[in-house]
Amino acid sequence: MAKLGIHDLAVRYGKLTAISDLSFTVAEGERLFISGPNGAGKSSLLGAISGAVPAAHGRIEMDGDILSGLGPERIARRGLSMVPEGRRIFGGLTVQENLMVGTGIRRDRAAVADDLETAFTAFPILRTRAQAPAGALSGGQQQMLAIARALMTNPKVMLVDEPSLGLAPKVVDEVYDRLCSLQALRGLTLVIVEQSSTRAARVGGRMILMRGGRIVADGDAAGFAAADLLSEAYFGDPA
Amino acid sequence: MSLQLLFDALSLGGIYAIAALGIALIFGVMKLVNFAHGQFIACAVFALILPSTDAVAALGLGLLPTPLLILAILGFGAGLAVAAEALVFRPLRNASPVALMVGSFALGVALQNFLLVLYGGRPKAISLWAGLGAPVRIGPAEVPLLQLIVIAAVIAILLALGLMLKRSRLGLEMRAAAADFGMAQLLGVRANRVISGAFALSGALAAVVALVMVAQTGVADVRMGGQIMLIAFIATVVGGMGSLPGAVAAGLAIGAASALLQAGLPDAARPFRDAFLYALVIVVLLFRPQGLFAAADAKPRV
Repeated sequence: MAKLGIHDLAVRYGKLTAISDLSFTVAEGERLFISGPNGAGKSSLLGAISGAVPAAHGRIEMDGDILSGLGPERIARRGLSMVPEGRRIFGGLTVQENLMVGTGIRRDRAAVADDLETAFTAFPILRTRAQAPAGALSGGQQQMLAIARALMTNPKVMLVDEPSLGLAPKVVDEVYDRLCSLQALRGLTLVIVEQSSTRAARVGGRMILMRGGRIVADGDAAGFAAADLLSEAYFGDPA
Repeated sequence: MSLQLLFDALSLGGIYAIAALGIALIFGVMKLVNFAHGQFIACAVFALILPSTDAVAALGLGLLPTPLLILAILGFGAGLAVAAEALVFRPLRNASPVALMVGSFALGVALQNFLLVLYGGRPKAISLWAGLGAPVRIGPAEVPLLQLIVIAAVIAILLALGLMLKRSRLGLEMRAAAADFGMAQLLGVRANRVISGAFALSGALAAVVALVMVAQTGVADVRMGGQIMLIAFIATVVGGMGSLPGAVAAGLAIGAASALLQAGLPDAARPFRDAFLYALVIVVLLFRPQGLFAAADAKPRV
């Protein structure tokens, strides 16, 4: 069974249709990139899966259970976590407090301590700055904090929205390096929105190309760089 | 003289700070200016006495031994605020901030009229803790015992609230929700729990203000919440909407300014003390329209 299933999903904001008739599945442990031009509906898709944006139509399933309509608080409890666009760090809270906000849904106290240790080992800068206000971190450090914060909810599926936005290429390398090793360590299923298809190809995984709220291509990220699908998606006739 | 003034300023400012905190706590988590807060205070005052329209009040809850009485009134304030949230503000949760604010006005008017029906419109004398007016000598100054108790209580409440926000699970969730409610929910923080918690704290703080006002004035008046609500609201604006330290600092500052003006103004100008006070507020806002402690929540850095 697919870990995550999206069936006939539609998202609308008033009269504006952001996503329509969208269906795909994600296998357990898979790494799926969502790419496409601005306004393709990538962030709306992640918003709908996480429960932050209501779905106008269709259903979203995780392990066969229906997530759509539950709302973000309960979806988080089912084991789905979100690293949102713009990171949305709690700037006035310390780094460690940021990490602890998402642990309220857990009953396994000892495992929380272990996970904090795992986060600090993966991102040593967070240990060094644990008691500093999170707003004082650099952009790259805030991105690492947002990833670590999502991991602290002990998710099975993690959604990551534009982790490379506004970061220097070297820092992006580092962010993806940690993401991939944490995925391997925790057996996570990852869905990542990434504008740069060359970046997705370099990291490796499956890629879905969206345009105008629909899927225009689905395949191995490495194959996209060669194919004309990309320029078609960005510059071709509107669907 | 000056020591006496200091105690006046601290006790008055302390109460303003507690009232302002009650408003800032709720504004922080749900961006609602709760104009019914003054009526929460009035309701907590009237909870001490039995419903009747007689001029002299018969104590009801007010007959309890002091520790129990304090607990009962704090519990009443918290319960009233939580009930108000569940019945009035929860159905409006996704409405615009303006609709929420109008809802709080409506709730305030409804509560005030409810009190009018039960207790009548005349102010009533309440004799609660009569011995607290006794003066205590501190060096050259003579200070009413009540003032010392108020100052000690305010300090204890501020410390306890600070600890609760910094150390407890609910405190952490409240601070996260105040910074970015949607993100907190994505991390599994329950909106209902956080908002109910904020209302419970706010209602308990309203009850503290009620107890102090009754002890100071010996009167229960249906309108008694209005004046302090106005000052508390001004304190939250001057302090920076949503900033808890700002609300406390501005509450203290307004209390201190009020006490200083009372002592320093010439006799002829003294009746206009509040006009001078609000002029000061306007001057502060001209220079810092965002308030003294504008909620400096760091924007995401790129």
